[in-house]
Amino acid sequence: MNFTRHLRAGALAFALSTTALTGAMAQDASLDLVEPLAQYKIYVAENTAELVKDTEAFVKAIKDGDVEKAKELFAPTRTSYEAVEPIAELFSDLDVSIDARADDYEKGEEDPTFTGFHRLEYGLWEEGSTEGLDEYADQLMEDVKELNSRINELTFPPETVVGGAAALMEEVAATKISGEEDRYSRTDLWDFKANFDGAYKIFDLLKPVLEEKDSEEFLKTVQGNFDDVYEVLEEYETDEGGYVSYTKLSDEDRNLLSTKVNTLAEDLSTLRGKLGLG
Amino acid sequence: MTDKTKDNGNHSGFGCPFTSRRQVLFGLGGAGSALAFGAFPARAEEGDGHQVTDAPTGLNSTLERVPFYGKHQAGIVTPRPATGIMAAFDVVARTPEDLETMLRKLTERIVFLTQGGEVPELDPKLPPPDSGILGPVVAPDNLTITVGLGASLFERREFLTPLKPRTLQRMTQFPNDALDAERCHGDLSLQFCANLQDTNIHALRDIVKNLPEYLVLRWMQEGDVPVIPPKPDGETESARNFLGFRDGSANPDSNDGILMQKVVWVGEGDGEPQWAHGGTYQAVRIIRNFVERWDRTPLKEQEEIFGRKKDSGAPFGGTRESDVPDYTRDPQGELTPLDAHIRLANPRTPEADDNLILRRPFNYSNGVTKSGQLDQGLLFIAYQADLEKGFIAVQTKLNGEPLEEYIKPVGGGYFFVLPGVSGPDRYLGQDLIEAVSTADTPI
Repeated sequence: MNFTRHLRAGALAFALSTTALTGAMAQDASLDLVEPLAQYKIYVAENTAELVKDTEAFVKAIKDGDVEKAKELFAPTRTSYEAVEPIAELFSDLDVSIDARADDYEKGEEDPTFTGFHRLEYGLWEEGSTEGLDEYADQLMEDVKELNSRINELTFPPETVVGGAAALMEEVAATKISGEEDRYSRTDLWDFKANFDGAYKIFDLLKPVLEEKDSEEFLKTVQGNFDDVYEVLEEYETDEGGYVSYTKLSDEDRNLLSTKVNTLAEDLSTLRGKLGLG
Repeated sequence: MTDKTKDNGNHSGFGCPFTSRRQVLFGLGGAGSALAFGAFPARAEEGDGHQVTDAPTGLNSTLERVPFYGKHQAGIVTPRPATGIMAAFDVVARTPEDLETMLRKLTERIVFLTQGGEVPELDPKLPPPDSGILGPVVAPDNLTITVGLGASLFERREFLTPLKPRTLQRMTQFPNDALDAERCHGDLSLQFCANLQDTNIHALRDIVKNLPEYLVLRWMQEGDVPVIPPKPDGETESARNFLGFRDGSANPDSNDGILMQKVVWVGEGDGEPQWAHGGTYQAVRIIRNFVERWDRTPLKEQEEIFGRKKDSGAPFGGTRESDVPDYTRDPQGELTPLDAHIRLANPRTPEADDNLILRRPFNYSNGVTKSGQLDQGLLFIAYQADLEKGFIAVQTKLNGEPLEEYIKPVGGGYFFVLPGVSGPDRYLGQDLIEAVSTADTPI
């Protein structure tokens, strides 16, 4: 907790004092975006700090050979990565190393360069063992720390941040609604929630700017669609605050989520244009 | 852009209902007048007398337009153009109001896409409103979009359940089927047909983009039929399927309005809900053909399996595709085997008239199977006024036929095609929605 608070203060100071950031924004976008962008940078910094912390515990469980503990920590550890994916993905080398899936490789699970969360997920669920996972765990730790430090040094491109809300929805629409993301653990709903949280955060921070631009109807529609999504997801929450297996998601709810995701993607894809960004 | 012909598939029985079926589009934006050279009115006349399964002539223009408004939807007795897509969706609409909004939007998009026009321009900082794959002016290209509803749409919504058409049901597995769940059923079907496949793809993308809150794409199958330039004597022939045989030879005459009313269109006396009058049942089947094996089968055996000559399409004992076989003179099946495909499907008895269906299929080619074989086949689409007496009865008669060794139905579904839209102030399925709001079911 203390760590997070400390980081929040640090990130805020960083965001507000970096001339590169404000300079870029003054150039490309309305000054109205300075505050939302600064806030978003804090949000991302909090998430990557959380990711480092959670990954430490996840990696420790693997190295301790504690399969059950590692399985328990897998989904919650990923959420802080999934929430900030539009920014994390800017570093494509790390994104591949951290979050690629077996079908990104011609040889699938057997490919020696298949690493990261999903390689560990494969070992834990499919092979039911931590054997041989140490090096993947170490690699993940290293990658996550590297990501954290690169993000802290990053000047956030406004169009990436604003476009990130739609990008997260595109991600869900293209590869997550099918339940192929967490195919071994079936923890997909955790990722869904994190992706929606990440998109909603951007939308929420931009609301004051959008309100000034007289898009009341638009805001209402988008808010309504997010509300509907959260309502569906709530039905699948467990008492511990996690989510049930993706296989429990009914066809009807998957269709509903699918329409919401695509409608949000359509609407959020207009954010950059509405805010005058290229 | 007004149409001279407002009545799709008019079945009044007076004169030919298709005189102006293939409306030539003039004045389509700036491009229309430039491209509308004099050859097209003649083309419109040439459409007369064509059967739905006749091979497309390849002389079509992207400016040709099939009228949208009429008693029936277009794309059923409309001569089949060279390309088609069948797409099935799940519908997210919990209330009659949602469903009405969906149907209104769908109607609006179909009117624009089938009649053509300019795409609106937006601020370039915003995503464009159109995929742009047909350019800034959307040409109609003989496009038809035909909307059907699946049994699940009615069964999963209490307010619709009492209004379900009488014989609408979920497709069940026939003995030779190997149904793939990912290519079956759906709440809503859209049949796209046009001269060019890009026109269908453009239309599908437009609808997906404009109705994301209601439609989830479940499966789709593209298909086409070979184009055959018309012969000098004007004779037309049915297009061939991927087994090399003419397909559609014995189809009922789609230019015979009275016959179509009996065979295809739901109307008075069918025991159907009032809202369904003017609609029809659509049976869709994705039928894989084992083409390598077929091509290694002796010609004589292929012909006996079908009951027709491969080159001419004529039945045994005949010389032309249009010749009608006389099975009363061949009771033992010495000429045409008793289990030949065409004999089982239509034994040409008076009773068999009850089982007539209007077929309007396309061929498909989907690449390669895991075994390294060609994944090709028939996108079978058939229309009938009674699903049980139509496709289900015919397929039941075909169960066990020798052709089964070479074909494998893997997907599809049954849908009820909504009646047509009479004018611009109406929308697809309006009678159904209005029937929901009246207390008693008007059967």
